[in-house]
Amino acid sequence: MDNERKNDVSLNSDQRIKVLSPGMLVFKRFVRNRLAIVGVCCIGFMFLFSFLGGFLMPYGEAQVFTTYTEMLNDYAGVSRNTEFRYTLKDGKDFPLVARSQLVLARNNGETTFSSQGVDYSFTEVSETCLEVSAMQRVAEANSFGGSVVISGVDGFTVSAAFESAFTEAIESGADRFELDGVEYIVSGDKRVSGAYSSEPVALASYNVFDFASSSSTNNFDFQIAAETAAGEFDGEGSFEFGGETYMMSPDPDDDEVINITLGGELYAQMSDYIIQPIESDVFISLDMRRLIKECIADGVTTFTWEEDGVESEYSIVRSNDRWTIKRVQDTLVVDKYQFPSAEHPLGTDGNGMDLLTRIMYGGRISLMIGFIVVFIELLLGVILGGIAGYFGRWVDNLIMRIVDVFYCIPATPLLIILGSVMNGMRIDPQLRMIYLMLILGFLGWPSIARLVRGQILSLREQEFMVAAEATGLSVRRRIFRHLIPNVIPQLIVNATMSLGSVILTEATLSFLGIGVKYPFASWGNIINDVSDVYVMTNYLFVWIPAGFCILITVLGFNFIGDGLRDAFDPKMKR
Amino acid sequence: MWKFILKRLLLSVVILLFVALIIYTIMRCIPTSYIEKIARERSMQPGSKSFDEWMAQLKAIYSMDTTIFVGFLKWVGSVLRGDFGDSWYYVIPVTEKFGDVIWYSVALNVVTFVLQIFIAIPLGILAARKQYSLTDYTVTVVALVGISLPVFFFATLLKLVFSINLGWFDLYGMVGRYHDQLSPLGKFLDIAKHFVLPTVTITIVSVGSLMRYTRTNMLEVLNSDYIRTARAKGLSERRVINYHAFRNTLIPIVTIIGSSLPGLFSGSMITETLFGIQGIGLISYDAMINGDIPFSMFYMVFMAVLTLLGNLIADILYAVVDPRVRVS
Repeated sequence: MDNERKNDVSLNSDQRIKVLSPGMLVFKRFVRNRLAIVGVCCIGFMFLFSFLGGFLMPYGEAQVFTTYTEMLNDYAGVSRNTEFRYTLKDGKDFPLVARSQLVLARNNGETTFSSQGVDYSFTEVSETCLEVSAMQRVAEANSFGGSVVISGVDGFTVSAAFESAFTEAIESGADRFELDGVEYIVSGDKRVSGAYSSEPVALASYNVFDFASSSSTNNFDFQIAAETAAGEFDGEGSFEFGGETYMMSPDPDDDEVINITLGGELYAQMSDYIIQPIESDVFISLDMRRLIKECIADGVTTFTWEEDGVESEYSIVRSNDRWTIKRVQDTLVVDKYQFPSAEHPLGTDGNGMDLLTRIMYGGRISLMIGFIVVFIELLLGVILGGIAGYFGRWVDNLIMRIVDVFYCIPATPLLIILGSVMNGMRIDPQLRMIYLMLILGFLGWPSIARLVRGQILSLREQEFMVAAEATGLSVRRRIFRHLIPNVIPQLIVNATMSLGSVILTEATLSFLGIGVKYPFASWGNIINDVSDVYVMTNYLFVWIPAGFCILITVLGFNFIGDGLRDAFDPKMKR
Repeated sequence: MWKFILKRLLLSVVILLFVALIIYTIMRCIPTSYIEKIARERSMQPGSKSFDEWMAQLKAIYSMDTTIFVGFLKWVGSVLRGDFGDSWYYVIPVTEKFGDVIWYSVALNVVTFVLQIFIAIPLGILAARKQYSLTDYTVTVVALVGISLPVFFFATLLKLVFSINLGWFDLYGMVGRYHDQLSPLGKFLDIAKHFVLPTVTITIVSVGSLMRYTRTNMLEVLNSDYIRTARAKGLSERRVINYHAFRNTLIPIVTIIGSSLPGLFSGSMITETLFGIQGIGLISYDAMINGDIPFSMFYMVFMAVLTLLGNLIADILYAVVDPRVRVS
């Protein structure tokens, strides 16, 4: 290229007379710098990539992708009942303490017990079912050497019939007697005994009732009828409840299970299996319960069941006396760390967001923050530096001391402290981005002010300024038309270089989690995922591209700045 | 000369006071602090005093119950007596913690500093001598790539390649698993091994600026009249470069090296944090993240002192090294 020019430049050539404007000269020199052109290409590409790419990508910045995976979810728990289960009569209470007293009394062969000041008695409905009644003392009998004195308690009037029935019961040793359709229980020793009226409060049973429809539930009266019938059950039985006749028959698959049918339809099932769904809103149908019971009885570990037209696979896992029914289910999960594919060219990140899109939006934010911060720096730096340089004396002294102070404030520690404070206060991510820009700009202006002031100081003494003053130009014109244009080259170089360093600072802060925060993307916070070593080693696609984006952008700005410096300052050319 | 130094020194002290005041004000204005956290924790305990009472008591203990200006004067007073207070996070005196960890940072920085000088200056001179050659472009590109590399990204890359793929170094930490069973020499080598990756990281990231600085200055010198004169005298190119040019290039380089000497004590926060080196950088990072005001105050003021010291050394060295400055 140099040779060509040498040939062109001869004394009579037009080229020799052609005068290029200073701007044109700078431009030509800049274009000739290969590195600078590479830098321009890098930055141009990053701009297109971030700003245009964001529009072209079909995904949003914080769009989360989900996927279905087959997961074994716990569906229901099954166990065999070994304890009493209690059914309370409506409006009655049978507290926990009394329940354990009941078991104790039964084991001791007693039929009455008292708990918390209430006397209870129980009768066997069947082998596996007890009816518990609360007793109220109505009369007391004291026997003195053969004669029995009966007195009422709590205003109970003792009639002659009651007296004779009671006396008879005491003498015969019976533990209950009936009078006028009311059953009284006799309790006590030979000398003092009491008559109690009783009222059923609860049923204690080993049996579990499963109903065919979710609307029918167990209640006291139904259960007592069913249990009574079951006590006399010998392969066939029936009972009446609520005016309807229920038929009982053993389940064809399992003898221990009794089916209760109503009008030919299966109404309920009585067994000692407890089947409870894990989620409370799930109703397990009776047919399915039958299947589960059958599978458990046969030792089968997997079965399929169709529900609402969807057939799912279930497996049964046994641990000791418990069985867990697990369902193979398509579960919606966040599509984390998906490897690159046609759909997501760079895969997805830890939040299930498309990485390419994130990097594009991250580029926007990084570039925008860079430009705004540098703008703030330039604004403050040029104004204050210009004032200091032009007016000199005490103004200069004051401003330069302020610059010194600002220059000494350690920026990184301060940014970290402020960042962690903002973390603590949970400041809105958008707001904190603005704060970040303001803080970075406010900490960065001193170097620009120094540069501007130094330039102006030296320019002020030069002949062209003396000439400008001698021509009688106004102060404003002298500053803006003659001084500032001479500072601009340095400023542009400086601004370009600091664009790179601001982007680097922002990325570092975001990497540390105290800069740009989720849901906003930034190259730094994309790389933040590497704090998990597993991600660092196995999901290179998550952090390598973002890292190179930072590198390319900062490098691009540095190349341009370097090229501009060379272009503006031809002295550097040999 | 002495008058100049004294004047600069006094000015530095005044600037330092202002910087300290600004930092102190910022620290005091931070709304959610360590004290509040502790007070909240303690008031949660059963049968404890209320949050406000705890706050008042803790504030009195940590002398945070004064106005900012009075508090600052108190702080300056105790600092003048060499007392920076107790670290809230590390629970021992700030200066003691500082003394424990600073030498790791200094060791790391001194090694990188020496490496930097031996890499940057020869390469910078080489690039300047052969301006716009392939060598020059390579050096420039390498230097600029180094400057542009995000430390955290480069450190992670190094970790991936050397710690995970090659398995040469530990991923994290300053000592190996069997450090306690090693002989004194073995212990030293163990620590040295753990310092290799951080050293490489810092060297590569920071070597670029010195390299470019050397190149620029060498170019300036090579363009000056006395070099042309030396060449015109018929001196060998080697003598021109090594004797005439190099000595003159040294003026700004010595100045910048001298002014970065205090920086050896500043630690490197990101690198130390990423590699788990218990230096001042990592320690102060943890302290700052946890709102440890005494330690943060100390660290920030320490950093400000280092900056001022660097400027001062630069000014003095410039006058010492360059006779032309001394005259004016």
